[in-house]
Amino acid sequence: MRVCYLIAGVFVCASAAWSSDDSESIIASQRVDFFERKIRPALIEHCFECHEIEAESIGGGLRLDFRRGLIDGGDSGPAVVPGDAAASLLVEAIRYESLEMPPQGKLPDALIDDFQHWIDDGAVWPDEPEPIGERSEDEFDLQRRRASHWAWQPIRTPVVPDVGDSDWCDGTSDCFIAERHASAGMTVAKSASASQVARRLFFDLIGLPPTIRELEQFHRDCKRLGSERALARLTDQLLASPHFGEHWARHWLYLVRYAESRGHEFDVSIPNAYHYRDYVIDALNDDVPYDRFVIEHIAGDLLDPPRTDSRGRRVSALGTGFWFLGEGVHSPVDIRKDETDRFDNMIDVMSKTFLGLTVACARCHDHKFDAISSADYYALTGYLQSSDFRPLRFETHHANAAIDTSLAQLDRMMRDRVAKALPISPSVEDEPSFVSAALQPHVVIDYTNPKGSRLIRNGYAFSSETISLGQLRFVDAEVPLRFSTFAGAITDPIWNRLDSIHQDGLEEGFRLGKIHKAGRTLRTPTFAIHHGKVAARVRGSGTAFVCVDSHRLVNGPLHGETVVTIQPESDWVHFALDRYLGHRVHIEFIAAPGQTLDVAMVTTGESDGDRAAQQRHETAIAATIEQSNDELGRAWANDESLQSVKRLVGQWRRQRQQLASRIDVTSHVAITMADGDGEDDHLLIRGDSSNPSDAVPRRFLTAISSEASLSNPVPMGSNARGSGRLELAKRIVDPSNPLTHRVIVNRIWHHLMGRGIVATTDDFGVLGTRPSHAALLDHLVDRFRSGGGSIKSLIRDLVRTRTYRLSGQYDFDSLQADPSNQHWHYRPPRRLTAEQIRDAFLVVSGHVDRTIGGPSIAIHLTPFMTGRGRPRSSGPLDGDGRRSLYIETRRNFLSPFMLAFDAPVPFSSMGRRNVSNVPAQSLALMNNPMVMQQVALLTDRAARETPVAEDRITWLMKTLMSRSPDDKEVRAISEFVSQNKASEAWSEVSHALITAKEFIYVP
Amino acid sequence: MSPTLPSSGSWCSRREMLSRCCGGFAATAWTALQAYRTLGESQDKLTSMAGHGPHHTPSVRNVIFLYMDGGPSQVDTFDPKPLLEQYHGHSPSDLFTVQPTQFNNVGKMLASPWAFQSYGESGLPVSDLFTAVGQHADDLAVIRSMTSEFPEHTFANYFLHTGSGLQGRPSMGAWINYGLGSESEELPGFIAINGGLTPPGGLDCFGSGFLPASYQGSIFQPHSTGVADIQSRSFAGAHRTPRLDLTRRMDQLSQSRYGVHDAIDSAIHNDELAAAMQLAVPDLMDTSDEPEHIHRLYGLDSDYKPTQIYAKQCLLARRMVQRGVRFIELTCPNVGSDRWDQHRDLKAGHEKNARAVDQPIAGLLTDLKQQGLFDETLVVWAGEFGRTPFAQGNDGRDHNPFGFSVWMAGGGVRGGMIHGATDEFGYKAIEGRCEIHDLHATILHLLGIDHRRSTFRFGGRDMRLTDVKGHLIDEVIAS
Repeated sequence: MRVCYLIAGVFVCASAAWSSDDSESIIASQRVDFFERKIRPALIEHCFECHEIEAESIGGGLRLDFRRGLIDGGDSGPAVVPGDAAASLLVEAIRYESLEMPPQGKLPDALIDDFQHWIDDGAVWPDEPEPIGERSEDEFDLQRRRASHWAWQPIRTPVVPDVGDSDWCDGTSDCFIAERHASAGMTVAKSASASQVARRLFFDLIGLPPTIRELEQFHRDCKRLGSERALARLTDQLLASPHFGEHWARHWLYLVRYAESRGHEFDVSIPNAYHYRDYVIDALNDDVPYDRFVIEHIAGDLLDPPRTDSRGRRVSALGTGFWFLGEGVHSPVDIRKDETDRFDNMIDVMSKTFLGLTVACARCHDHKFDAISSADYYALTGYLQSSDFRPLRFETHHANAAIDTSLAQLDRMMRDRVAKALPISPSVEDEPSFVSAALQPHVVIDYTNPKGSRLIRNGYAFSSETISLGQLRFVDAEVPLRFSTFAGAITDPIWNRLDSIHQDGLEEGFRLGKIHKAGRTLRTPTFAIHHGKVAARVRGSGTAFVCVDSHRLVNGPLHGETVVTIQPESDWVHFALDRYLGHRVHIEFIAAPGQTLDVAMVTTGESDGDRAAQQRHETAIAATIEQSNDELGRAWANDESLQSVKRLVGQWRRQRQQLASRIDVTSHVAITMADGDGEDDHLLIRGDSSNPSDAVPRRFLTAISSEASLSNPVPMGSNARGSGRLELAKRIVDPSNPLTHRVIVNRIWHHLMGRGIVATTDDFGVLGTRPSHAALLDHLVDRFRSGGGSIKSLIRDLVRTRTYRLSGQYDFDSLQADPSNQHWHYRPPRRLTAEQIRDAFLVVSGHVDRTIGGPSIAIHLTPFMTGRGRPRSSGPLDGDGRRSLYIETRRNFLSPFMLAFDAPVPFSSMGRRNVSNVPAQSLALMNNPMVMQQVALLTDRAARETPVAEDRITWLMKTLMSRSPDDKEVRAISEFVSQNKASEAWSEVSHALITAKEFIYVP
Repeated sequence: MSPTLPSSGSWCSRREMLSRCCGGFAATAWTALQAYRTLGESQDKLTSMAGHGPHHTPSVRNVIFLYMDGGPSQVDTFDPKPLLEQYHGHSPSDLFTVQPTQFNNVGKMLASPWAFQSYGESGLPVSDLFTAVGQHADDLAVIRSMTSEFPEHTFANYFLHTGSGLQGRPSMGAWINYGLGSESEELPGFIAINGGLTPPGGLDCFGSGFLPASYQGSIFQPHSTGVADIQSRSFAGAHRTPRLDLTRRMDQLSQSRYGVHDAIDSAIHNDELAAAMQLAVPDLMDTSDEPEHIHRLYGLDSDYKPTQIYAKQCLLARRMVQRGVRFIELTCPNVGSDRWDQHRDLKAGHEKNARAVDQPIAGLLTDLKQQGLFDETLVVWAGEFGRTPFAQGNDGRDHNPFGFSVWMAGGGVRGGMIHGATDEFGYKAIEGRCEIHDLHATILHLLGIDHRRSTFRFGGRDMRLTDVKGHLIDEVIAS
């Protein structure tokens, strides 16, 4: 309010200079009267909807409900300069000269005149306090928010509660639960039977029901070892089962909104996504330490050395595939806005998955509730701005790297030795420039000399070193030596045989879906387009792709100009990029399969004359060099004195051949991230991509940075050549970060116990729920860390607790006191997930195919699944018996059966599913054709397995419910059979038992 | 409340949860009957607060949303612009600033190929594409100043349906059922009758997003069994077989073994409801009990196949309204060329699309009136955006989100009125500018829902259909 008083004071003084006290007060009151009659009502009527404290969202950050609001202004600066209407933005806006306000229509001219008069007259406003409004929000004070919210606090090592001589606790975790039981006066349910626990273990650990054989094995173990040790043994067996990774991968894949198509209009495929899915399965089966797993997701491509998995493959980079599994749009009208939307989703998924934070809420403004600033958000998007999509030949990338290095060494060494021995050299000046003086000012990317632009490669088809003018080169020709008349980045034909294995759509789909990029691509550094004409001096054949604002789903009607074919006969490739002035781009040069492609430079804005001058320049130099080549050719043919050179060249050839034979030619291609150029993103005012503000240095969240770095923030990724993602990853898993480990431990607890200690598994912020047992959470983190971040160890610990083994037999009074089971005083039956239900059908029908991994099975299409992008053919009704996580997840064609049972829609992190309970589920189990098919298979199988009908009831109950029937159940079923036609009776029994609640609700 | 809910034992039933959380709205007759019964046991309160009920006295009970797929042209339907005639063939950039378009193929100004007539006492002008709908002009509130944030189909479709341009958000039909619950125990509360064209963006336009699955739209086809998994299947062949009795018996025995649990109770009850639905849906779908004149009224006897299809959709919509389906969306039939997305050949394309829907819509409005349903039903006609007043190429029009026409009719709506205006060429809204959020807010309002108070917590936010936006379009609301 100080400003307000001050200005009012100045105004009063100014008036006093020429008026008597009386006339001064009269004039002042006239001015107030004018304001109250003309201006205030107009503000209320035309402006308050968006510019008042109570407005739903305050437009442009501008408030017009108190004087200081006008003077301080909003995002666009001060709205009113008292005494100077002409300089006041407000007047400009209501005149519709810049902003057009109010948007509903221009105000009458008379009213606009009133506003001008009022401002020129000092913009008088009666002295009144700033309106506060009913829902005034907290001022954004990051440190205060950080200090006051539990999740930001460091992890403690809580003392395990002393619960006396309670024999209830089995391990320390139980003590925390038991302590609450005692303090709340809960009567705790008794433990479930060993068989019940066994059924739970099967579903919770591997997601499948036990077979009769597995059940019998367990019961034998119980007899032999006692139930305690039998359960321990079963736990170990299940943790060691390859199906463990499948089941827990399914949990994980919903966190990273895993899907195999991009949704939107044509639902184009995301080729090769399944390698990421299999990577997760393998990592969980291999029990990769969680920190390592996280680092691989954020920056696995930057790990040196990468992790070798149990199949002997270097897989760390595959973790980064998760970044790129989001939706995608073709032909966006505003291509930069599309990028900011993609980044939003990437940050959203990353921050929810690893940190349990909704960082993306801070895209348009500081977080409404949490200690996350808008700058924090843009500090993170900078990492994406600095990174890039890279289809990777992951099975051979690392092995071939050694060959790439050896090849460069060999060529360098042999070139020197041959040059020394060779009496011929081109008579060009010492460091001849390939670029003519005329063209020089227009070069944006320069590969013609070693000091030029950095080579960023996907694979090794482009050599690691550029070639310079007149440089000696080994060529596979009659005369195997040649002085180069070209300078730039060159491909080495030694890599021509590369063979990549893709899914349909190769690497990206749409226009780029026909181009083999992996292993054969040169990517320029990122640069801004300042002129619509861009060209590149090239030699060879392939494709050039201008990647604008990281948009890759190129498919008409817009942006077709970003993909240009390079014809072998053309020296230049031209791009018309007028549409993208001011946008950030890089260009990818992709050599056609089996062909070479050399790139000298990228230029912009030159004239045809400039290029003609360059042509003359090249011709002149080439003429000189070609003389030497001719000389060399003649000498090679005739001169006996080149014998030593020929020997050397023979050696060169043999060693190259040797290296060539070691190239790993064939590889699958996976989706990964790679570094581009280190760049900071700009804060976007209100998240609006057309309204950028200052650059925000890349760094981790302010609230998780250490105290030291807070006072002196050290931007990460200051190394301009890289994104800095590896540093970010290390911060995320640093023990001083209180969130990462709490979040994963809580997720595991959630999956095993039915509800997280923090119920909102993906949101540890202020709007999330508080931990019901905060000390237990930290205790588990402690255990998890001392166990090296082993997910399997934590699961092993948790499933042997009494808490896990509680039965559903609640105590009536305890239930009254704690109906939502906050204290875990009993264990309610849990409905199987959509995937578990379908997988259980396959197991009981005997029709399951237990193959692990591989390409997905096409989705079965019902007549109700329609729309653009519908796959041409439907997948099999039974999904070939494969587990549900192998059924293709197409965003626009999700399985209605799975959706009915709450399978999440993959658009954001879903660590906790809805569990609805609706008639559609009954209908699905009663009538769905897949269910009917599986019931028929089950019935046949039952008849085969139990030729004697009396045994069949037991067999069915054991197969479906993992237990024997009691007398009443046997009687009920027998009666039913006897009342129905024999031919139908058993099918109906099978169907009735599958719709019985115990089949999908695990007690 | 449902009279048939089983006693859920001793503890927090949905009834208690609702009255506890929502200040007793559950007591009204508007509360969800068939819908969501949570697994209170394993769900925390956050997701179990379903069915908050109306916030004020509703004007209507049901919504029929006539989704005009592809974006009909405003200047060729409900927003006549005589100046287009005068400037036909002129370059638009001489007249105003042309915004980037989807196809970047901006042609000359293009006069409407259709004449406009004034209809009814209101004199509301309607083009000759909609001569039948024109007869109901005095019932229509035409909003000529609608805008969208997106010029691309999928974004704009998600936006129109869910209030967000992103995929995977709950559709308005899901929101409304989340808010009010269904009135029918035997039918879903949100049905999309798919005439043949699924909107670009796919079935996610009808999804429940982060809301529980029970609110997602059920996709019906306007023929045969209507919906998937409804046809009773049994190895014994009877409708409701003793199989269900055996299931129930096994469930009872299981309960005596493991105790009574709310979730299981609910699931058992759902079996009963499902059995009832198996009877109700065929009854709904079988329109042979409708008299001949009703068939003719809608156009079921048309010699144009797409008209027949849309007529059936409209008739089914009325039957659904009668049976208490809360929100019904009709998608367009395939007319052989394209949806209302005439990037070229505007005349032929718009004519076919209009021919398919004009008579059926008029028939629906007439029938709702004569059946006494008009006042409790809201009919909304809208595309995801409009089209440019200038040509794309020679004879098409490109997408235009800056100003287009939608209309509403039915209970609580002021008929025979026009709200807002586009500029003299029909390009951008300049008066009474509305956003899709405003349309949503108004639809919710007429249903008795305050859009600002209908929230669902997800991902750390109290999510709303209208996000942080939305203002009632007061002008179209009858006082």
